[in-house]
Amino acid sequence: MNSSMKDKITTSQAVVIIINYILATGILTLPRASVEKVKTPDVWISVFLGGVVAMIAGVIIVKLSQQYPDKTFYQYNQDIIGKWLGWFISACVIAYFFTISAFEVRIMAEVTSLFLLEGTPTWAIILPFLWVGLYLISGGINTIARLFEIIFPITFVIFLLVAFLSLGIFEIDNLRPVLGLGVVPMLKGIKTATLAFLGPEIMLLLVAFMYPSDKSKAVKVVLAGIAIPLLFYVITVVMVIGALSIEGVLTRTWPTIELMRSFEIPGLIFERFESFLLVIWIMQIFATFTITYYAATLGLAQVFKKNMHPFLYGLLPIIYIIAMTPKNINDLFTFGDKIGHAALILFGVVPITLLLISKLKGKKA
Amino acid sequence: MKRIQCCVRLLLVATVTLLLTGCWSSKEIEDLGLIVGTSLDLETGDVSSEEQQDARYANRQLLTITNQFVTSETTVSGTKEGALPEKAYKNVSETGDAVLPTLRNMLLKVDKRSFAEHSKVIIIGEELASTINLQQTLDFFLRELEIRPSGLLFIAQDQASQALETNEPTKIPAFQLVEMMEGHERTTKILPPMTVAKLEGKLYSDSSFLLQNVSTENGEVKFAGAAIIEGKTKKLRGFLNESDLEGIAWMSGDAKGGLVKGFDEESGAPIVYEIISAKSKIIPHVKGDQISFTIKIQSEGRIAEHWVLSDKAFDNQFLKKAEKVFEKEIERLVRKALDKTQHEFQTDVSGFGNKLRIDYPKVWQKRKKEWDQTFSEVPITCEVKVSIKDYGTSGD
Repeated sequence: MNSSMKDKITTSQAVVIIINYILATGILTLPRASVEKVKTPDVWISVFLGGVVAMIAGVIIVKLSQQYPDKTFYQYNQDIIGKWLGWFISACVIAYFFTISAFEVRIMAEVTSLFLLEGTPTWAIILPFLWVGLYLISGGINTIARLFEIIFPITFVIFLLVAFLSLGIFEIDNLRPVLGLGVVPMLKGIKTATLAFLGPEIMLLLVAFMYPSDKSKAVKVVLAGIAIPLLFYVITVVMVIGALSIEGVLTRTWPTIELMRSFEIPGLIFERFESFLLVIWIMQIFATFTITYYAATLGLAQVFKKNMHPFLYGLLPIIYIIAMTPKNINDLFTFGDKIGHAALILFGVVPITLLLISKLKGKKA
Repeated sequence: MKRIQCCVRLLLVATVTLLLTGCWSSKEIEDLGLIVGTSLDLETGDVSSEEQQDARYANRQLLTITNQFVTSETTVSGTKEGALPEKAYKNVSETGDAVLPTLRNMLLKVDKRSFAEHSKVIIIGEELASTINLQQTLDFFLRELEIRPSGLLFIAQDQASQALETNEPTKIPAFQLVEMMEGHERTTKILPPMTVAKLEGKLYSDSSFLLQNVSTENGEVKFAGAAIIEGKTKKLRGFLNESDLEGIAWMSGDAKGGLVKGFDEESGAPIVYEIISAKSKIIPHVKGDQISFTIKIQSEGRIAEHWVLSDKAFDNQFLKKAEKVFEKEIERLVRKALDKTQHEFQTDVSGFGNKLRIDYPKVWQKRKKEWDQTFSEVPITCEVKVSIKDYGTSGD
């Protein structure tokens, strides 16, 4: 399926897609994952630097895509490194996309069955989620972008609201000292923090969908798209550690939900706020799930030069099976780490190599 | 073709009705036993059931857990006029060697479905707290989803279950405790509330801390000082009384409101100072291997009551004199609390270690293992500055 005129997105839609892709599991687990590595209150600096690393990677990805403004990654990588190698890399990227979408689905199922739907079997949570996602994606990138435009402001407002309501139990001493043990512990957290910013890679495909006049703004798009999740993540980490302290965060499976459960505000219409957080979080997971699912399907369609629909339906059971593979929650977290490491190679190393090769080739021609 | 479409539609409508039943797992509030408070005690007496005796033989400690239930039957509005229940709550106890199995055994004697989402307090008995590591006792409460981390934690002198009893028919002791805790804003004799969420950080950081102590006298629940939990063992180390707590509050800057009672030097008549604001700064000094601390306390307030007949509050001379009196009194309170924590209990419960961690992180890394020991020997100086801003509506 080649991109026709109706499959065009505006600049702001592109930004929103990146934001919604990045914001996912990290909101709930990043405080613990990063504290585990850093072990000092400097985690927020690690998260900040992680975002900066993601921005650099994002800019490289955009630069690469801008070399071939009308083609997606799946189409142009063969131009750069030849048919077979290109085909192989496309296969890896496609596999990455549907694996991550399966991972998000499973995490969503775990959290939902723990906090919201106790006793509901995992499959019963996952299946409707998959079907609704399928329905959305069959509408193409435009439909996805529009839904994301609705989700984002809701997330933004509710997230800031609940985050600042927790100020009542915030203790600044939990975040001090800054760099007390030097920069080494803080540096250890950067990799983990960077993994929370998986998402800019979607620009490999999105640039092709942007209006021709907007394509030059793609760098700004990716920077803005990472800056907002960066803000979210820093606020999350600061609030969670400020309230629960480094030691308290380490032992919590879902520290951010724990934060929301740790306070009640009597007198307001609502006293408890964790369900708000879960609502926006599930929306974010849904966003990440659909965009990665879409990216995988698009990849298959373009590699085999066929219509998207058969792949769309074909991938669904595969995603379901992958989602059900991790045996327990620890397996699931390890699985997430592995995806992250794959991403580091696929979207850290590969784009810059391709960019260099294409520049060299360009000069020769 | 049309027929098939029709059939499909019918089928769809039929499926929808399945989903519309809604609220599958709803729990009717009349059938719930809301747990509002839980107490844990060490059981040393005779035990009856086989399970308990097995635990005894295997030398495992037994706990008695008491849940305070509020049900539709115990609340006044739920019953008909003239049939007022004797108590607004119902306490159920059960004994066992781990928390959850014991709670589940309560199913054998409670008709309502227990529901702990509204649990407000956890009270741990003195004996239990000094025998079993708090981390072990509370593991279930930190893990269980139904119990919110916003619940408060108390230590009870003697039996914890006593703290969940009251003579007043309409009161629910668990709620009473939560409301009494709000008095923290107006006196320095009550600790700032310690929620389960905050406790977790304290427990895992291996630092010593204080928990509000509850005692019962003649069926009346009373806050009586604080219990010291030692960081290394996570067991109860001892108790501080109310006036020690005042000293601690001044040191750690927790004094949000409250009184200081001093005595006029000449006449011996009481003068009372009411805190408007209080700040404290603990400043660590490290010279080579030597650690020392300076506490700087600054407070503003008013004269709330004075019995000195010879002086008038309109007179600045008197205010200066009063300030000196209060400064001395506050310093005395701090000294007394320090003496107890440093020398009698040798545990740091007022955040000296935390300040060292912030200002000298590297020194702290070396010293944190043996911190309570180190703390008991460090010299601490104290500077108090009190300024009286006003004296209410009487200038006498």
